[in-house]
Amino acid sequence: MKNPVTAFIDKKLKKLDPLWQAENGVGGQRVRFHDKTGIAKYREWRGVHDTMVDYLAWLNNLKSMGLMVAMAPLPVLKGIWEYRWMGSYLGTFAFIDRLYQGYRGPELKIAHMHMHAIVQSLTKKIALVLSNDRRLGGGPLTDRMVPMDEVLPPLFMAGFPNLIPIPLQTLPEFIICDIDQQLEPFYIDVAESFGLAADVCSRCAAETGVTFNDDFPLIGKAFLSTNMPCNASEATSMFQRRRIDLPDFPVTLAMIHNEPGAHPYSTQMLRDAIKFIEEEYGEKYDWDALFARARHMNEQNTIELEKWDFFKTDYSPLSGISETLYRLYGWASVNGQEDYFTKVDRKVIKIMRRCYEKKYLPFGGKTRHRAFLWGPSAVYYTDFPTWTQNCWGITIVLNMDSTMGHNMISTTDPEQAIKDLAEFSEKGVMRHHAVGGWDNVNAVWDWAKRFNCDMVLMNDNVACKGMNGVHAMMEEQARELGFHFIFVEHDLEDCRTISRRDMRNCVNSYMSVVANEEPLDPTLVDFDDSEAW
Amino acid sequence: MKKKLCGILLKLALVLFGAFLATFTVYMFNLENKLIYYVIRPFLNKHYDSQKRDRRIV
Repeated sequence: MKNPVTAFIDKKLKKLDPLWQAENGVGGQRVRFHDKTGIAKYREWRGVHDTMVDYLAWLNNLKSMGLMVAMAPLPVLKGIWEYRWMGSYLGTFAFIDRLYQGYRGPELKIAHMHMHAIVQSLTKKIALVLSNDRRLGGGPLTDRMVPMDEVLPPLFMAGFPNLIPIPLQTLPEFIICDIDQQLEPFYIDVAESFGLAADVCSRCAAETGVTFNDDFPLIGKAFLSTNMPCNASEATSMFQRRRIDLPDFPVTLAMIHNEPGAHPYSTQMLRDAIKFIEEEYGEKYDWDALFARARHMNEQNTIELEKWDFFKTDYSPLSGISETLYRLYGWASVNGQEDYFTKVDRKVIKIMRRCYEKKYLPFGGKTRHRAFLWGPSAVYYTDFPTWTQNCWGITIVLNMDSTMGHNMISTTDPEQAIKDLAEFSEKGVMRHHAVGGWDNVNAVWDWAKRFNCDMVLMNDNVACKGMNGVHAMMEEQARELGFHFIFVEHDLEDCRTISRRDMRNCVNSYMSVVANEEPLDPTLVDFDDSEAW
Repeated sequence: MKKKLCGILLKLALVLFGAFLATFTVYMFNLENKLIYYVIRPFLNKHYDSQKRDRRIV
């Protein structure tokens, strides 16, 4: 039941609502932005209730950032002064605004619950890392930290309760590219200035640039690297190894892991990694500590599987970037180690159950296509799913990255637990689908069918040598199976090669020429955001 | 005593209302992002561009 006062105000101010403007042909989402810079003249009016939800979420995130500075005022200031990537975090508020344009009701509520979980976790992590960074003077926990490659799921490290695993690349390179598209080109140029090939994966190039620019925080006594999914990544690992100059152990998990023979190899690899950490840090592995965190991961994965059942229907208020970003951060970076994420999951699933019972249609019932997003997404265009929804009514039901390891981990038997962890880790970010063999790449059609999708958006990272070879085969299969199919070209972390605008045009061309449809919001079809964060 | 309590509550309400007005104005007119984009980031970028780094491959 709507409050009569807010209903009256909403009626009076409805002309300020960009969704109303687009519906009535008098404006839309893009009207309130400055051209090129993407800086909004004013924030989105979503009606009294939803504007207050967004405002309170903004205040809540502001509080987390204030707490970060209060926890470690000097290290944070030193960090902003020392590291270029720290300056980019100042764009976080604009980033959140971009992600949730056009969100209303339960979609907005869940989106902000998810985002705040990420913000509160990330701000604590930044304060912790900077307070103990040797480049900034070090701290009491420096030697208890374990830097590890970010594509290695850190759950198995929960068996060392006195140590703090830190995915090394996440803060200075990966998450920050989501927030600021202008940052990584600088690091890519640093790498290429040494003659490193310009046609490798831009993520690897950017990591190499961060390494050469000495922009990785220096923490820990030993480093866990991994065989990342391509040759360029492995080269990057070598540069990081030399530059960071710590004893390291490469946790080389099986790539072609569908074959049963691969699991014992990966299991032994995890055992060896645990032994390496025991020796380097003088700690003993504690299985009970692992089981405690594995219970959280299992609960999160159980809830995730229930969410998937709702995703298969038209009544899920959780989709698009709200789903993807939370799952990616919650799985790859938190990985069962923070209670906060379990609590958020419990709350979110309750909202989803209620929405399903009420047959709630999200996004005002304007969804026209249900799409599965496959392939590694452009990190510099995180709000792309929001744009597809607002402009063309294409809901991203699920993203490839969200299908990462969802097997349960034994919480009673160490032997079984380590095997479960190996399988869980083999299905990590990119590892499973992008390089895990043809069957895993080609699984897109089964996933799309299971989730009742009529469309597949295939991310085409132009510098990914592994995926370039499958281009024509995927096109042929889409035709045979009758899916709407769009290749969305991008250059992962380099917005100069293929801009956000170019990416949008891939979809615009298909939707207008092939599907012969009209946009929901014409102001979003073509615009310039080349100077935006 | 009751009057004093009412006075304190009134002042508290006024302060909270003032804080709401101030923060809501910043929020609605996107003032923090404008400040960061047009003032703080250009200043920081200038600083980052002037940093000296030892980038030799070792």
